[in-house]
Amino acid sequence: MTGMDAILNGGLQGFLVVALLLFAIGLATVLLRRTLLMQFMGVELMLNAANVALLAFARYRGGDAQATVFYLFIIAVAACEAAIGLALVIGLYRHRGTTDSDRAASLKQ
Amino acid sequence: MFITFAFVTLLGALGMLLQKNVIVAGLCMVATFFGVAGLFLLLANPVAAALQIIVYSGAIMVLVLFVIMMLNSHEEETAQTARPVQRWVSVVLVAVLALGAVKLVLSSAGLKTLAVKGQPMPGAMTLQQVGTTLFAEHLLGFEVAGLLLLAAMIGAVALTKRNL
Repeated sequence: MTGMDAILNGGLQGFLVVALLLFAIGLATVLLRRTLLMQFMGVELMLNAANVALLAFARYRGGDAQATVFYLFIIAVAACEAAIGLALVIGLYRHRGTTDSDRAASLKQ
Repeated sequence: MFITFAFVTLLGALGMLLQKNVIVAGLCMVATFFGVAGLFLLLANPVAAALQIIVYSGAIMVLVLFVIMMLNSHEEETAQTARPVQRWVSVVLVAVLALGAVKLVLSSAGLKTLAVKGQPMPGAMTLQQVGTTLFAEHLLGFEVAGLLLLAAMIGAVALTKRNL
């Protein structure tokens, strides 16, 4: 199962291509959208792409449970990031009445 | 089956990128998370698939949607300054990065042999395997993760509370 066949039927390369495209779309979201919430969702997307690649490699190297444990840790960090990031967005909205990252370019008012 | 889940994942992500309304973009994100959970099932890892649905679709996206509804701006604000050059440069950079990486993956000989042989797996991942590995080899990491979650919880409360 190589090349195009691997992509269509879900070989290791197929999963990696999906992970790479997911990462690229997440990066594009962070770079192109100005709303902080959208940029935040782009970061979550990139974290997910890393998870897909990690678990795909684990599966094709014999299904080690270590990868799932690290996936658990990544999820814990992502949840922390979600809580703190959203709290910061709410704080910014209270101070400036905006969630546009361009309008929050300086820390001072 | 793989191609279906891959399409759900990538179409959800593309919808999120292109959608103007933030709530609809969040719902596209939920579709992406379900697609990724399907991919995890195909990787013989039902534990990760269940965690993906519970934590991402269940907890993180609900949090995001709540915050979106608390702020009463569902549309992207008009740009303060138009930055056409930066936007086009970032589009080109992302496209070059994605195409280059995909080309690299498809031409790599090591990945090809791994994909052909794909070391044998005794069976689908079980919660018992994950739990044994977690508590036997990564106990410190587990405790640190718990402490990190506690710190994040206190931090979120402190940041959102108006006057502490």
